[in-house]
Formats: sequence, C-alpha cells, structure tokens
Amino acid sequence: MEPLRILIVDDEEELVSTLGERLALRGFQIESATSGEDALRLVGKNDFNVLIVDVKMPGIDGLELTASVKHDKPELPVILLTGHGSVGEAERGMRVGAFEYVMKPIDIDALIEKILNAAARKEGRLS
Amino acid sequence: MNQEICRLRKEELAFFAEIGAGVSHEMRNILAIIGQNAGLLDDPLALARRGKLRDPEKLKQVAARIARQVDKGIEAMERFSRFAHAADERRASVDVAALVENVTALARRHVRYDGGSLETELPDEPLPVTTNPFSLQHALFTSIQMVRQCTEKGAALTVKMANKGTAAVLVVSAAAASGNDRLSRRLDELSVVTDELEGSVETSSADGVLSLILTLPIRSV
Repeated sequence: MEPLRILIVDDEEELVSTLGERLALRGFQIESATSGEDALRLVGKNDFNVLIVDVKMPGIDGLELTASVKHDKPELPVILLTGHGSVGEAERGMRVGAFEYVMKPIDIDALIEKILNAAARKEGRLS
Repeated sequence: MNQEICRLRKEELAFFAEIGAGVSHEMRNILAIIGQNAGLLDDPLALARRGKLRDPEKLKQVAARIARQVDKGIEAMERFSRFAHAADERRASVDVAALVENVTALARRHVRYDGGSLETELPDEPLPVTTNPFSLQHALFTSIQMVRQCTEKGAALTVKMANKGTAAVLVVSAAAASGNDRLSRRLDELSVVTDELEGSVETSSADGVLSLILTLPIRSV
C-alpha cells in the first residue's frame, strides 16, 4: 500500500521539520512548506492525501490557504493547527471547508487519527 | 478629564492584551517544537535501552534543537517581563534605547504577519529619561501600528532614535508614496498617550518616506 502523502505548512521551520520527521517515522510521506504561497505551488503540482496547515502565518494565512485549496481541489482535506487564542479562527476555517483542527502543542496520536480519518474521507471510505 | 483617563486606561489594557497574545502565540510554538522533539527522542531511547542505538548523533541533534527552543523561550519571557514591569511605576528613569529595542522586538511578530519588516537604528550610548515607561511603550507600539496601517502591506519599517539635548526623538518611518493624510488624521489616537508623556507627535512626508515623529522631553533624575 502506498504511503499517505502529507503536506505540512507552518511558518515555524523547526516545527515543520520535527513534526515531519515524526510522521515520516510512522510511515507517512512528508513534504513541507513554510508559507501559504509555497504551499499553493506544491498543491498545484502534487497529489497530496492530506494538508496540515497552521492558522496563523504571514502572507497567505491558514484560512486563505484553506479557502483557496478547497476552491481548486475540493476533495483535498485540510487539518488546521491552532492554539487556544485562535480557536475562533479555526472554527472559521471549518466553515470554509477545513476537515478538522488540532491544538498546539500537538498530540501526535490525535493528529495521526485525524490524518487517517481525513484520508479515508478523501477516498470515500468515511461518510 | 475623567473621560480622557478612562480612554487612556482602556487603550492601555488593549495594548497590554495585544502584546500578551503575541508572546503567548510565540511560547505556544516554542512548546510545540519542544514537544515534537521530545517525541523524537522516544524511538532512539527505546532502541538504546535494547542496546541497538544506531545513530547517537541524532540524539545530540534533537537535544540541541530543544536547547535552542528553550533559549528562544527564555528570551521571549525576558522581553515580556521587561515590558510588563514597565507598568510598576508611573514615573521612572528608563534607558529609552533599551526600551525601544524591547518594544520593537515585541512588535516585530505583528509586523511580520503583514509580510513586513521592522528594524532599529539606535545610538550606542544609553539615553536615560525620566518618564512614564509604560506610556512610552504604548506610544511607540501605537506609532509602529499606525505607520504600518498607513503604508502598503509588507512595508519595511524603521525606528530611529536621536538625542537632541533637551529631547529624545523617536522616528518611525517607512517608504510610502502616500498615506500622510491618513496618518495625520489618526494623530488624535496618540494624543492622550503623548499628553501623559508630556511630549508631542507629528508626521512628515518627504522623498517618498512617511514618518511619525515622537518627541519626549529629557529629564534626568
């Protein structure tokens, strides 16, 4: 079975690399971007199973990125990363089509469960 | 007069909350990175317990990343602590250069979210001034926000400071083809704070550079 392809988008480079490393150790194929602009370019050129996107980023933020992705690839699930102070924004993200949101600091097992659910939804295995 | 004091207190509270929210966001990211690195240590440690650790260098790298984030966290908390303790006394002797450095560091994240940048040009010598330190922080942060909002998204902002003998002059500027009218119309937002500082504020626009100029009287202790 092909590994799930995940794109992680966060302006905190070190968070992207460590989270990516942890998910890669668990069998996921990881790509990363540190801005919404780079993420849009990668989404345009690649076929990802799930996007993990930080809500607060300079330039194109997580909500704009989600809206743009849902416009171009409505089937691609987006999981938002957020903190307590940004829950309102994450809920707005759900309204523009995000699949779920996860609070920082991130519980890796909870995130993996959401990734698998999101990928299953994309494949039509979860209603 | 009471209305003015009420307005000042409300604005101070909003300012404190804005800085606090920015620092808490930074700390959350730092803790998130430390959390992920701690998780990365789990697998190699389990291998080490079974005597099968293949890459001890990896552990050193992860430990170094954690140490780097702890240093970032300490720096963020020290900045916030200096900022918060400025409210301890309504009149105190402060080094304006150090205060400007601290406030601009706290404001940098807010500017960066617009895709902009914020740099300082400060004299090497400290400049002690007896003033209301919290109001000075408030005036500077508000000036940075106003210049940012009156120039194009992503503008490069600079904060300069000069000792003019009887006054300390702080200049927040950015390259901008227009915006002076908008900035001038908003000067009233700063008046209650500059009154508290017994200083003055004005705008200037020349050679494509828009500036907001804060002048504070120097009163050494």
